[in-house]
Amino acid sequence: MSESTRHYHDDMYPDMELARAYVPIQIYDMSYRPAVALSKGTFFPELYRPYMVKNPY
Amino acid sequence: MWIYEKKLQYPVRVSATDLRMAKFLFAQYGGPDSELSAGVRYLTQRYTMPISEAKGLLTDIGTEELAHWEIIATLIYKLVKGKSPEELEKAGLGAHFAQHDTALYPHDAAGVPWTAAYIQVTGDPITDLYEDMAAEQKARTTYEHLIRLTDDPGIKDALSFLRQREVNHFQRFGEALRRVQEYLDGKKYY
Amino acid sequence: MHEYQYKLLRDIMALDFTILELALYLDTHPRDKKALKDHNEYVRERKKLKEIYEEKYGPLTLAETSEYPWRYIADPWPWEIKY
Repeated sequence: MSESTRHYHDDMYPDMELARAYVPIQIYDMSYRPAVALSKGTFFPELYRPYMVKNPY
Repeated sequence: MWIYEKKLQYPVRVSATDLRMAKFLFAQYGGPDSELSAGVRYLTQRYTMPISEAKGLLTDIGTEELAHWEIIATLIYKLVKGKSPEELEKAGLGAHFAQHDTALYPHDAAGVPWTAAYIQVTGDPITDLYEDMAAEQKARTTYEHLIRLTDDPGIKDALSFLRQREVNHFQRFGEALRRVQEYLDGKKYY
Repeated sequence: MHEYQYKLLRDIMALDFTILELALYLDTHPRDKKALKDHNEYVRERKKLKEIYEEKYGPLTLAETSEYPWRYIADPWPWEIKY
């Protein structure tokens, strides 16, 4: 898609279209050991998002 | 077809019975954003997906959600075990006891029975995948609410596990969306 | 539950979870060679452990062989186990 027809500003995302949502495709590389993966809820460190309860006060 | 394996996906521990928490956990047993809704939704959408990646993913995540439904059932079962009708009534589970004793039943935290109205299967694979991504976010948020409602480390552990699963599922559905979008655009990604 | 049975079960649960994670990844990345290789390795490891477990403690599914009487239904069921 040429510069003139791209309707968004970000140069980092070629070939994207308006009115669509895009989730980046994961690339598998590192992993947790199985026992650790089970305790964390994911095999992939890059997907691990622990819930931190912020103190609201 | 389905095969049942006689083990939980995650080891569920509770420190003590807790009827207050059991009542809240029904949200994920039979509520709108429950594991039951997720399982039925994905296993029903899978039939009209256009590419094998999506058929596989919806089948496999749908099946995993049933395993999560079992985990929620186990939590409730352990939290309610041995409690008397008086204790249940005091905890706001009197109506549940009247109709179900201490048995499980697919209703939400307020006692509203599960309904297929909680899910949608439009037949448009793009739309259906967006619904699935939204469902994973709603479930994640519900788990965050539930985690904040308890101090029991065993319950927090199990809920944190289930919450993290929603994050992973969202990523997978996002990837499936890209694959389906590419397919429908006429681009082959391999 | 016997300590050794519990340890075996936990190891199988960890392997099953890993296999599932790799399978979900492969569902959207069917041509990822590393993921496929690792998936197959974990499956082989799991097969071995499952055989040991089922031989000692009975079938985990109704489609495995059982001693007499039918061990598949024996207590405890998963929601009854104290982890």
